[in-house]
Amino acid sequence: MTGLESHVTVQKRAYYSPPWADVSIIGVAGSSGSGKSTLAQAIVKKLNLPWVDSFYKTLTPEQSKLAFANEYDFDSPDAIDFDILVERLRDLKAGKRADIPVYSFAKHQRMEHTTSIYSPHVLVLEGIFALYDPRVLELLDMGIYCEADGDTCLSRRIVRDVRERGRDIEGVIKQWFGFVKPNFEKFVEPQRKVADLIVPRGIENRVALDMMVQFIEKKLFEKSRHHREALSQLEIACKESPLSDRVVVLDETPQLKFMNTILQDIDTCPEDFIFYFDRLASLIIEQALNNVQFKEATIVTPQGHTYSGLAPKGEVCAVLVLRGGSAFEPALRKTIPDCRTGRILIQSDFSTGEPELHYLRLPDNIQNQESVLLIDTQMASGGAALMAVQVLVDHGVPQERIVLATYSAGKIGLHRLTSVFPEITAVVCNMLDTPDERWVERRYFRC
Amino acid sequence: MTDKTTSQAPPKQSVGPEYRAQNQKPSATVSVDVALENVHVLPQTPQLIALLSMIRSKTTDRADFIFYSNRIIRLLVEEGLNHLPVIEHTVTTPVGRTYNGLMFQGKICGVSIMRAGEAMEQGLRDCCRSVRIGKILIQRDEETSQPKLFYDKLPEDIADRWVLLLDPMFATGGSATMAVEVLKSRGVPEDHILFLNLIASPEGVRAFSAKFPRLRVVTSFIDQGLDEKKNGRDGQVLIHFEKD
Repeated sequence: MTGLESHVTVQKRAYYSPPWADVSIIGVAGSSGSGKSTLAQAIVKKLNLPWVDSFYKTLTPEQSKLAFANEYDFDSPDAIDFDILVERLRDLKAGKRADIPVYSFAKHQRMEHTTSIYSPHVLVLEGIFALYDPRVLELLDMGIYCEADGDTCLSRRIVRDVRERGRDIEGVIKQWFGFVKPNFEKFVEPQRKVADLIVPRGIENRVALDMMVQFIEKKLFEKSRHHREALSQLEIACKESPLSDRVVVLDETPQLKFMNTILQDIDTCPEDFIFYFDRLASLIIEQALNNVQFKEATIVTPQGHTYSGLAPKGEVCAVLVLRGGSAFEPALRKTIPDCRTGRILIQSDFSTGEPELHYLRLPDNIQNQESVLLIDTQMASGGAALMAVQVLVDHGVPQERIVLATYSAGKIGLHRLTSVFPEITAVVCNMLDTPDERWVERRYFRC
Repeated sequence: MTDKTTSQAPPKQSVGPEYRAQNQKPSATVSVDVALENVHVLPQTPQLIALLSMIRSKTTDRADFIFYSNRIIRLLVEEGLNHLPVIEHTVTTPVGRTYNGLMFQGKICGVSIMRAGEAMEQGLRDCCRSVRIGKILIQRDEETSQPKLFYDKLPEDIADRWVLLLDPMFATGGSATMAVEVLKSRGVPEDHILFLNLIASPEGVRAFSAKFPRLRVVTSFIDQGLDEKKNGRDGQVLIHFEKD
């Protein structure tokens, strides 16, 4: 019965697939020193993608001793934690956030902290065994194999390990003949057969680099187009249904309209603008807080009388959508002085209008917070808000705990957002039929 | 004591946003509904009830008391200002749209009934930056036990202003009644006075509103318990306000 009901709800819900749910993964393999890292880095740099290091296993104490003596075989597939790699790649492919282990080559161990990666449109997986595991191969959109002359490889490796990884030359040479070379023939070279593209001469091969970048750019453009198309399709779909009752618009009292008049007047001086925005923002936050959960609390007064009151059920944290949302910070501090505050930077691409996630810092254990206020000044088509809510949901925040608070919002954008996420609450000061371009933050921060 | 509380039967109801089902909303004691045209009670939202709970609890320390009462006071001031007269005012927005807005007509000033009323001045300043604030000191005469005006300092042009009269606690209303009479004697029309108050007693507010039918009262909570005796159940709120 319950299962059936929830199934029906799922059916009704409009579906939004964030761009990162469709990541393209490109594998770059090749022998050590073949120039694959440089090539991968060149691609990443050209396309401004995130960079992730490696999936070496954490060594046991004995293995660690061997490693420091340059006797541990890093160049065997056994040194790679393919299980974690596959798991993380699958997470990323499914649009989830992935915590990537950080490996210290100087200490020969995995560091305690991890790097979270999120939202790349394209992920470059680089490593001598990038094309080795069939489970990984299955997830790749493109496999590249870098080839280089053996002497070149060895000399490159010496330079790199001595300079960047703090080894001595003897150790490097010992490793080369002990492990690298035999392993190359045994494990690395066979990957040549499964690659889509074989790049000789590594980084010097400009033609190959340009071709790859072009291929990836084409992929990115297609993805962006799909994302934008999906956004506008959602828009059409939700015009037909009524707006969610979880959209709370502030009552248009004379006071509210008066403050709006001052804020919207182009001739208002900056001092007044900031004062009245802070004042109005406080009211928006107060209203947003009416939508978080409370619990009953019996209050004992100093006289010993009791009063059945209420208390917040748990902690409320906030996430500001930069940069607009940070205009709410003074008002937020006035209402909840010790509010844990995360930040998300989402910017719309100048030419396509597609929202892109650039920066993310959320409170620890955000999924356990009683409520999360998601704050932005203006919401036009709702693309950024949609992405921001998706980020929170990906971090395990249940929809019904999210309260979006904003100064103004386009009606269609709100409609779209609440069709995709029907359990979130939105608190809006001004609902507009035709949304404005973003001007509030410009006025508030004066630049 | 218990008998009194039960016989009063304070109104208890579930509070929360409309979209939530009744059984998903916690219930709490809410303001008594006095149904008087010139008495405006703030919407009994869960957040307001939680703020009132904070200021009523004996475990709340003074810093928290001040912080939470200020938050309620700001809401009171925002609501009070809604009762001022307005005129239409059209402006051009930064994106070149026309906005049909409004402006306030007339000048305002605050008048606090010392000492408790002074605690509300910060909240008023938070909303109206450079507002003039007058003072009235009324104390109970030891011999007659009637309220007596000891001191006042009011803006000279107060007769031309809308007055926000500030006093957080309103039990019998003796001081507030006298303060209104002082204002009227200085030429302030009764309908230009807005009385802003945190917690009031139903009997007090009924008598006050009958005596001054054109004055408007804006309060956050009307509480049965406040009638019990002078200072009543919420005496501690007064104590907090009157301590320095």
